[in-house]
Amino acid sequence: MRVVWSAMAGGFAGTLVLAIILNGAAELALTRIDLPFLLGTIVTDRRRRARAWGYVLQFATGVLFALGYGAFFAAVGRSGWLLGALLGALHAAFSGTVLVNVLLPIVHPRIGTPDSAAHEVPLLEPPGFLMLNYGRSTFLVSLVAHIAYGAIVGWAVRI
Amino acid sequence: MRVDGYAPIREYAAIGDGRTAALVACDGAIDWLCLPNFDSPSVFAAALDAARGGSFVVQPAVPYSSSRQYLPSTNVLETMFSTDRGVVRLVDAMTLPDGHLCPMRELARAVEGVSGSVPMRWRFAPRFHYGAGRPAFATRYGVPVVTCGGDALALCTWDAGTPTWHDDAVEGVFELNAGSRALLALSAAYAEPLVFPDRAGVGRRIEATADFWRRWSSAHVYDGPWKAAVTRSALALKLMIFAPSGASTAAPTTSLPEEIGGVRNWDYRFCWIRDSAFLIDALLQLGYREEAKALFWWFMQATARTEPRLQVLYRLDGGTETAERTLPLSGYRNSRPVRIGNAAAAQTQLDVSGSLLETIWLYAKGDSYTIDRDTGVVVGHIADFVCDNWRRPDAGIWEVRGEPQHFTQSKVMCWVALDRALRLAGEGEVPRSNTGRWRREAHAIAEFVETRCWSDRLRSYTRAADSEELDASLLMLSLVGFGDPRRERMNETIDAVSAALREGRYVKRYLAHDGLPGGEGAFLNCSFWMVAALARAGRLDEATSLMDDLVAEANDVGLYSEEIDRETGDFLGNFPQALVHLSLIDAALTVAAGVGSGPGPKLGTASSGAQPS
Repeated sequence: MRVVWSAMAGGFAGTLVLAIILNGAAELALTRIDLPFLLGTIVTDRRRRARAWGYVLQFATGVLFALGYGAFFAAVGRSGWLLGALLGALHAAFSGTVLVNVLLPIVHPRIGTPDSAAHEVPLLEPPGFLMLNYGRSTFLVSLVAHIAYGAIVGWAVRI
Repeated sequence: MRVDGYAPIREYAAIGDGRTAALVACDGAIDWLCLPNFDSPSVFAAALDAARGGSFVVQPAVPYSSSRQYLPSTNVLETMFSTDRGVVRLVDAMTLPDGHLCPMRELARAVEGVSGSVPMRWRFAPRFHYGAGRPAFATRYGVPVVTCGGDALALCTWDAGTPTWHDDAVEGVFELNAGSRALLALSAAYAEPLVFPDRAGVGRRIEATADFWRRWSSAHVYDGPWKAAVTRSALALKLMIFAPSGASTAAPTTSLPEEIGGVRNWDYRFCWIRDSAFLIDALLQLGYREEAKALFWWFMQATARTEPRLQVLYRLDGGTETAERTLPLSGYRNSRPVRIGNAAAAQTQLDVSGSLLETIWLYAKGDSYTIDRDTGVVVGHIADFVCDNWRRPDAGIWEVRGEPQHFTQSKVMCWVALDRALRLAGEGEVPRSNTGRWRREAHAIAEFVETRCWSDRLRSYTRAADSEELDASLLMLSLVGFGDPRRERMNETIDAVSAALREGRYVKRYLAHDGLPGGEGAFLNCSFWMVAALARAGRLDEATSLMDDLVAEANDVGLYSEEIDRETGDFLGNFPQALVHLSLIDAALTVAAGVGSGPGPKLGTASSGAQPS
């Protein structure tokens, strides 16, 4: 049970840092990725509400992923910031290639996919491979943010 | 007609969405647009560098003539192109968000065939960061997309031909028959993914945007002479209010020159304290209380960082950092340098204290004396600061970059600061502990102005203490209620300024050297100040005649730039300029009050007891 709570706490703190890094990078014009906007527009097409929903979803997702990290740490019988950081790097690669690039457009009603047909009108710019549509530095920024997230979760979960 | 690729400033119209504004030329070219905000770097700046600045052109592909108007009571522009092959209507709007998932900023260009069959062409050539950014070109969903750092643009087109890339630009050609329509929508994003609008959504937003502007302009209460000019000026001012903060930009442009080929090229994309009193007064008198309230609180928040010392100007977000630098652009018709930022922020200009306290007084008066206690305390701090500092020389209202002087207008505005503080104290809005000192110092300033800033030889107040020069800012003595505007000295000053600085309907600022090379045009706000001063002096026939002439000087869509070339009538300086439109409204309302059809002059009859004799 301690693993669950510590993973959730680590997931919350890690998501906080991840959000700060992504927002900071956007302010520095390194990327246009905006996870709350992307997530929130799954729920609503209202701009302001979308951002509010997006932050709720981002933190919920962050905590859920941390539980997955916790399960992995329990399975291998060890944890720590370094292992967490490695897992974060893997997580970033998965996000850039599959999660945000392929899976998100499939569930997102406002992003087009190769399967979109004439009855659908895509509204949001798709992220593209490694999310590079949102800027050349996007994957690098995402990698740093996820490594920080993973390191925090890895540090928080004690096996 | 363009000269070396540059449209005359007079041929521009402005469209905007309360966050940024674009300049549209008579020939269908958008030559200026900063994104996402007024003070962001440009994506179209052909007005400052025809070769490198970037533009977005929609026009007939055959010879044409054009005429324009704003759709009645809106900031949505309609350009009619007449050709031998037929007539085409182009409607340009910066659309307002509708709450749904629409672009962060959207520039819509709707084209409609009116008669005949007209071949059209368009060219979309964005250049980020004042032409210095290196854009990346791509397509998403078949839509051309251009990105640079945190900025991204998508150009969605419908029935406007096939977009083709050509020399870092996207181009298209199409033919419009009578009744057929095409649509181009520029979607802009900053630090977020692009939103690609659908055609119906863009159409709805154009309609909703026009509806909003109609509703907004119909809300004002003025029904006197020059009503159309007052309404257009109010719409232009609303266009320049930065909705996220409530601040007003002095103009949406930078470095449109005060002299062709000259160096007097400044960035006006800031909020000047000096404009505040005029703006609050205009908004309140026209019945726009919400905008006045937002602006007032913006002023209080922005100045709270520096009070009692005030900056001359602040960033639109209330920031104080306005460092000035030059850009490697050729400038409008080779008028260099092109500047961004404004070093005037660091100048000492004593008149801003008077402007701010006049603003607070007007707001309090318009809001039936309901300023909060903290604001009252700030008023006291500023009044004390004025008492301590009014004897110092300063850079004056014209922000001269030479040696500081004892400018008369600055001294009078110091008097205004103390006079308004005393009036507010009299209403119980300001702590009264220092009112004795404020009254003594106000008398001392009035005496200084009446003795040191008056010339028996000129029979006029003078530009500065102990000088024998004239200045159009002396007309403001009447506007701010420094003594009875009908008294002999004020009438003589109006006559002297008129004789020395007025050429027909134009009034120069001054004749003296100001520390900068080159010349400048006639400042249009000075002409409107002349109207208001004449009206306050009771010389209504002269005021009305001059006002008629000045209203006729607006361009075809009712807008003014800062200055005008006295010889050619060409517009000069940043465009459209808020202070000119504010001065127009003030002049119209003042004359209207004089003839009994307006809401009344801004100054009440209450006296602080510190009036000059």
